[in-house]
Amino acid sequence: MALTGRLGLLAALAALVPLFFPSWGALLAVWGVLLLGVLADLALAGNVRGLAFHRSGDTNVRLGESAHVALTVENLGKRRVRARLRDAWPPSAGAAPRVTRVDVPAGERRRVEMTLTPTRRGDRHAVTVVVRSVGPLGLAARQLSRKAPWRLRVLPGFPSRRHLPAKLSKLRELTGNHVSMVRGQGTEFDSLREYVAGDDVRSIDWRATARRADVVVRTWRPERDRRLYLVLDTGRTAAGRVGDVPRLDCSMDAALLLGALASRAGDRVDLLAYDRRVRARVEGTSRTDLLTAMVQAMAPLEPELIESDAAGMVSTLMSRVRQRCLVVLLTELNTAAIEEGLLPLLPQLTARHLVMIAAVSDPRVSEMAAGRGDLVAVYDAAAAERARAERGRLTAELRSYGVEVVDAPPDELAPALADAYLALKAAGRL
Amino acid sequence: MVTAQQAPAAEPSAAQVAGRRFRAARGVVLVIAALILVAIALAALKPAVTPQYLDPESPSRGGSRALAEILRQHGTNVAVARSAEDAADRAGAGSVTVVTRPERLTAGDLERLRAVPGDLLLVEPSQRVLAALAPGVETAEESFEPAADPGCGLPAATAAGRIKLGGSESYHAPAGATGCYLAGKYPRLVQLAVGGRTVTVLGAASVLTNDKLAAEGNAALAMNLAGARSAVVWLIPDLPREGETAGDQSIGGLLPFGVKLLILQLLVAVVLVALWRARRLGPVVAEALPVAVRSAEAVEGRARLYRAHRARDRAADALRTGARERLVPRLGLPRGAAQDPAAAREIVTAVARRTSYDEATVGAALYGPDPADDAALVGLSDLLDDLERQVRQS
Repeated sequence: MALTGRLGLLAALAALVPLFFPSWGALLAVWGVLLLGVLADLALAGNVRGLAFHRSGDTNVRLGESAHVALTVENLGKRRVRARLRDAWPPSAGAAPRVTRVDVPAGERRRVEMTLTPTRRGDRHAVTVVVRSVGPLGLAARQLSRKAPWRLRVLPGFPSRRHLPAKLSKLRELTGNHVSMVRGQGTEFDSLREYVAGDDVRSIDWRATARRADVVVRTWRPERDRRLYLVLDTGRTAAGRVGDVPRLDCSMDAALLLGALASRAGDRVDLLAYDRRVRARVEGTSRTDLLTAMVQAMAPLEPELIESDAAGMVSTLMSRVRQRCLVVLLTELNTAAIEEGLLPLLPQLTARHLVMIAAVSDPRVSEMAAGRGDLVAVYDAAAAERARAERGRLTAELRSYGVEVVDAPPDELAPALADAYLALKAAGRL
Repeated sequence: MVTAQQAPAAEPSAAQVAGRRFRAARGVVLVIAALILVAIALAALKPAVTPQYLDPESPSRGGSRALAEILRQHGTNVAVARSAEDAADRAGAGSVTVVTRPERLTAGDLERLRAVPGDLLLVEPSQRVLAALAPGVETAEESFEPAADPGCGLPAATAAGRIKLGGSESYHAPAGATGCYLAGKYPRLVQLAVGGRTVTVLGAASVLTNDKLAAEGNAALAMNLAGARSAVVWLIPDLPREGETAGDQSIGGLLPFGVKLLILQLLVAVVLVALWRARRLGPVVAEALPVAVRSAEAVEGRARLYRAHRARDRAADALRTGARERLVPRLGLPRGAAQDPAAAREIVTAVARRTSYDEATVGAALYGPDPADDAALVGLSDLLDDLERQVRQS
C-alpha cells in the first residue's frame, strides 16, 4: 500500500473546514471522508498481486554495448491493471527506463523493453520488480515488489579486436603460401615442390631431386600446435587504474587479442587467472570456442586487494603443463612485488618454458616526466624519472633471465604483445 | 481427486513481509523502548521539589533543613507552606510566620499576609514587601561585613551575641523600632510592633542557612527569632503561576476552537505527505563498488614528499640520471656508461662536442653539485632538456 500526494493536498485543503464548522464532528467527518476515499481506492485499484513476471532477452553483453532485456507482465487477475513499474537493477547496469507505465487487461500480457548499458564488467543481477497501481480517485495505491531473476553477464570490451585483421595478415605472411620462406631454426618441413628460379639453393632436397628428373626444393612453414599459457595476475597491482580503466582490464584486452591471434595461428591457448588461488581457468578448449570461453571466464574477475602469491602461481603452472610452452604473464612491473615474489622463481620457470611478461605502463608517469616550468612540475618530473629508472632496471634484470618483457601504455599493449608473439613465431623460438 | 495448484515460487504475503521487517527492526525498537523506559524512570525518581534557597526541606548548603530540625527537637511545631493562602490557613495567634523569598509574593499574597495572626519574620524583604507588612521600615544599603555584634537591647540578639553573615541588607528603622547589628549606622535586624503583633525584619538570610548555621551565634539568633512562639509557619512561596498575576491569558485561551482544529488537521496533512514521500517505488539498490586506486598514485606521492622536504638533491639526481640514460645511446656509448662514474669524462666531452655548451657547463649539468635553491633546480631541468634536444638534433 502507498499513499499519494493528492491525499496530502486534500487533507491540507480540508483544514479549512473547521474554520467554518468549528466542531469535532466536522473534523471527524473530514477524516471519515478521507478514509473512505483511501479504502475505495485500495479496493478498486488493479490487483498487483495477480501479476506474474517473465523475462527474456540478452544474457551476455560486451562492455560498452547495450543489451536488451524484455520483462513480460502477465495479468492473471480478473481486472485490468494500470500501474507504474520499476525494474530495479544495480546502478552500474545502466538500466533504462527507470520507471514505465504498464496497462495490462485481464488475462493478457505486455512486454516492457529494458535497455541496459553497463558501465563495468562482471555479472549484473536484476534486483526486483516493483509495481504500483493507483486507485481511480488517486488517493492511495497498491504496491508490490516481486523478484524476477535475470543475470546479465558483462564481458570484457575487447577494444583491441580492431587490431586483429592487421595482425592476422602479418601472421598470414608468416604461415601463408609464402613458399620462399627463409629456412629457420624453429621451422618445420611442409612439402616438396619443383624448384623455381629465386628459391634458396640451400633448401634443395638432393635426395628427392635424385629420385626425380627435376630439381626439387623443400618448403618450410612455421611450427604449429605450440602451447601458450596466458596468466592473468589478479592481485592488488591489477587494481590500479590507468586512466579510468583498471590494469586488469587492459591485461584482459591484451590476452584476448593474443589468444585470438594464436588460435588462428594453430597454437593451443590456455588461460589462468591467479592471485593467491586460481580465480579462473580455461584449458583444452577447441580453437573455435576459445574466445567465448576466455571472455566468459574473464567476465566476473575482479582484482583482489591482496599480494599475489608468485610461488603458488609458478607451482600451479608447473604442475599443469609438462611440455614446453610460452608462458605469458600479464602483471605489473612493481619492483617490490616482482623482486620478492617472481624473480627467485624465474630460473625454475625459464628452464622449461619460454616466459614473456606484459605490463601496462602509465601514460601519466610519462606526462609527469615531461613536466617543466615551475617547482611543482620539476619535482613531479623527478619522481617520474625515478619511477621510470626503477622500471627500466627491473626490465633489464628480467631480460637477463631470458624473459621477454613487453611494457607499453594501455592502448598499445595489446598490439605490442601480439607483435612480440609474431616475432617469436617468425624466429621459431616457440 | 482435486489437487490444489501450488504457485511455482512462494511469494511472501504482505503480512509475512511486515513480520520479517519487524523481526529485522526488533533490536532497534527494543533499544528505543528501553531508552524511553529509562527516561521515564529517571523522571519519576527525580525529587518533585528542586532543592532551593532557604527551603526547610532542603539539606543542601543553601537550604534551611538544619534550623527546621532543631526547632522541631525543641518542641516547636514547624509547618511548611508553599503559598500565602496555605500560610494564612496554618498560622495562628501563637505562631511566627517566617516569610522567605518574599520577592515571589504577589500583591494579593501580601494582602493575605497582612491579615495573618501571630508574629512575622521577614527575611531580606524588598521595599514593596516592607511597605505592605512593616510600614516605616525602608531599605538602606547593602553591606558585606562578615561579622557583627548586636549593639542593641533586643534580648534575642544579646543572647546570641556576635553573628557571622555574608552579604546583607540594612534598613532605615522608624522611631519606636529596635535596630541591631548595625552596618555603618543602619541596622540589619529591625523589630517593631505593627498592629499588636511583632514584625521582625532580618537583612541577613545567610544566618538561617545550613551552611552558616553553626558559625558564631547564628544558630542562637535564628532559634530566638523563629522559635519565639510555640509554632512556626515557614512560608517559601512557589513561583506565581501563569494567569494568577494580571488578567493576561495563555495563547491557547485566545485562539478560537476552529483554529485549533485547523492546526490539528494541518498536522494530519503533514503526516500524510510524509507517508507519501516515505514510500519509495522499490528499495534502494546498493552494489559493491570496485576500488579506485590511480596507478600513478605512488609516483605522485613521492613527488609530494620531495616537495614537502625540499629534496632538491634527490630530485636533481633523478633528473640527471634520466637525462644520462637517454643521452648515452645517442652518443654511441655502451648502456652501462650512464651509471658508470669512470665514463663521466667521456660523456661530458661527447655531449659538449655536439652542443653549444662548453664542457664546464655540461659537466655541472650532468654531474654537478646539488642545486642551491629552487630556482637552480628549475634551471637545471631546463638545461638538461636543452642538452637532450641539441644532442638529438645534432
